[in-house]
Order: sequence, then structure tokens, then C-alpha cells
Amino acid sequence: MSVGEWEIGSIELPFSEAFRITLENIRKRFVRAAITTASIILGIAFMVSILMMSQVQQSATGVVEGIRAYQYWLLFISLLVSGVGITNSMLIAVAERYKEIGTMKCLGALDRHILTFFLMESSIIGGIGGILGYIIGLIAAIIYGAMQFSMEAVGKALLSVGLLGFNIPAVISLLLASVILAILLSIVASLYPAYYAAKLNPADALRYEI
Amino acid sequence: MRYEYTVETEDLAKYYYMGRYVVKALDGVNIRIRRGEYVSIMGPSGSGKTTLFNMIGGLDRPTRGRVYIDEVDISKLDAYELAWLRNRKIGYVFQTFNLIPVLTALENVMLPMIFAGVPREERIKRATELLQRVGLGDRLYHKPTELSGGQQQRVAIARALANDPAIVLADEPTGNLDLHTGLEIINLMRTLNKEKGVTIVTATHDLKMIDVSDRIVYLRDGKVQRIETRAEVSAEYEE
Repeated sequence: MSVGEWEIGSIELPFSEAFRITLENIRKRFVRAAITTASIILGIAFMVSILMMSQVQQSATGVVEGIRAYQYWLLFISLLVSGVGITNSMLIAVAERYKEIGTMKCLGALDRHILTFFLMESSIIGGIGGILGYIIGLIAAIIYGAMQFSMEAVGKALLSVGLLGFNIPAVISLLLASVILAILLSIVASLYPAYYAAKLNPADALRYEI
Repeated sequence: MRYEYTVETEDLAKYYYMGRYVVKALDGVNIRIRRGEYVSIMGPSGSGKTTLFNMIGGLDRPTRGRVYIDEVDISKLDAYELAWLRNRKIGYVFQTFNLIPVLTALENVMLPMIFAGVPREERIKRATELLQRVGLGDRLYHKPTELSGGQQQRVAIARALANDPAIVLADEPTGNLDLHTGLEIINLMRTLNKEKGVTIVTATHDLKMIDVSDRIVYLRDGKVQRIETRAEVSAEYEE
């Protein structure tokens, strides 16, 4: 590719470098990241506890009730609230970094590099939030099960197969579901903020003062 | 390939539309800056200095007119080519330093080289040399918050030179610095200008800049009021 006398070379952002900068970003802006993570944790913990509690109930009473429709509705609403929380938090993260985004673009960053930074950040936050949410939700369900029924029923429920249609113990299928769902939720909720950041005109982004 | 003019503007204009009002930030600016020149753009705030800086730097599109960098009309470039231009041909220095706060001095200087695809060892070597050149050889692993204003601006200058650009654009580089530190930064930029032959364009209202500039472009209300060489300015002072 050439324009006039110039040979236009490539503009790159290796995955490893993007990942390193993103980790630094999360570390240095820990509070913001923690707030976003909390939003995910709450949604996922709620989901895990509801699913697990109904599982414990089944193994204790032997009655296959399944999950009631209103519980699905609650789940849906809680994940939606969690998603809106992430979007809000990421929009503030973008606003905080207007000048940085402008500077990155001055240094040669392409729109998709800015997009990469923000989506990578939200995937990492999503993954961490998913794991923590799973642990908290599971603990809540175990405590509930042990108090309402027995530890034996809880143990049976944890190892029961078939939850969410997976042919693996519930304790593992829930972990997988939590992490995957948390990452997806986090990415979807961050799409608009990340796209907005990527499309910023560098001159406008630089002018912005907080 | 050597070009006589590094920067050339042709009837350059930028209008901002605020409801029924039109703000003419730039209104028909024609300037030519030779390779290796040190040019200061002077004028009161609101005279269009920063707008001109943004236009020459490929950060914003003009309403009318053209900007040529190394004789290439940059309005014809697409987003990818513009990013390449900003990465390889232009180095930016800002009033507020604009270092990436989460990265060390060395990483900040290496960042433009990452985008340029320079291999890691080469990046570290070149960035270290540049930081040593601006007098920060012992501050490589410091984060911006651990550096003084003058030191941060030195990192920014090293970063601007990372990919050996044709031009360094500096928007009020001494605006946030005290008199003494400001003078050090000005002298550093002048020395690098001589040493590396890099063209330097600064937007400023710092009168200390006059002493080191080859030419001074006076901007007022988005128009070039007059252009003087340093000899002419000195003569005025002696009168």
C-alpha cells in the first residue's frame, strides 16, 4: 500500500501486549474494576444459588419440581440488572480515559485496538466475576441446604448429574455456566461503551478535561 | 526521498457551527514549513493555535483547504493510513504531557513502537537510548505519577521521537511548567531539532520560545497575521 511517496506499513497490536496493558489497567484502576466485578458477582451468585437450592430440594425430597417459571423470570431480571450495571460502569471507565484514548490514537492506535482494550478488560472482569459469583452463590446454597435439609442432601445435589442438560456433576456444570455466562454478559454489556470509545475523534478526546 | 516542505497548508479553514453561529477557528491559513525548521505558532488563546495543531497532526478534518505532510495531501488518507501517519510521521507533545498513567516511562516510549511492529529487544534498546538522551536514564521504570512535570514532558518528548518522525508537533509544551523547567524543555527540543534534523512546530504563547525558533507565525482570529524570522524579531527588540 502506498500513498504518494509513502509506503504505508502495518499497524499492529500483539495480543500479548494488549493483554499486559489491560492487566495493568485493571490493577491500577482497581476500585473501578471492583465495582464492575461486584455487579457481575451479584447476578451470577443469585443464579447459582437459585439453581443449586432447587437441586438440593430435589435430592432431599425426591420430588422433581424443577425450576419454577417465576424463578427464571427473577434470574432474567437479575442478570439484566447486572448487565446494566456493567454498561454504566464501563461508560464511566471510558469517560475517565477520554484523554488516554485520544493519546493512544495519536500514537497510532486504530479504532479496533481501542475496542480490543475495553473488551479484553471486560472479559477478564467477567471471568473473575463469574468465578467469585459461583463461589458465593454455591456457599449460600450449601448453607441454605444444610439448614433446611441435611449435608447429605447437599452433597448428593452437588454431585447430581444433568443440571442445565450437562452430563457432568452439578458442581462443575454450574462453574462452567457461571464463567461462560459472566464473560458473555460482560462483553455484551461493554459493547456500546467500547464502540463509543473506539469511535471517538482524537481531537475531541484530547480536549476533554475531567 | 527528501522533501523541501514537511508541512504545507493551503487555504486551511475550520468552522464550528454552534446553532446559528459560526465560529471560524481557522479561516484561510497558508503556511509552509521547511524540513528541519523550528517554527512557533504564536497567538492569544482562541486564536486557532490548537485547531491548527489538530489539522496538521491529522487529528481532525478541515472544513475547507488542504494539509500536506511531506507533500502528501492528508485529506486523501483513510482511517488506517491516518493512524499510520500519526504513528510514523508525527510525534505529539501536549501541554498536559498525556502519558499513559498505568505504564512506566520506558513502556510509554515503547508504545508507538509496538504499534509500528518493532521487535521487543529493539524497542527496549531504542526507548532506553531515547530516555537517556532526554536525561532520564535513571527513571526508566518510574510511573508518570512518580515523575515531576518536567520529567514527564521529557518522557513525552522521547515518546514523540520513538518512530523517528518527520515532525514533532508540540501544543503549549511549556504551559504547565515553571519558568526554569520550561526553558529546559525548550532548549531540549531545540537541541533535538538540530541533532536529529526533525521539524518542530510548537503552538505556544510562551515568549521564551521566540529565542529558539527559526520562524514565528502569528495567528489571530484564525488568520495568519504575520510571519517573522528570528532575525526580524530580535531587530524589533533592539529598536
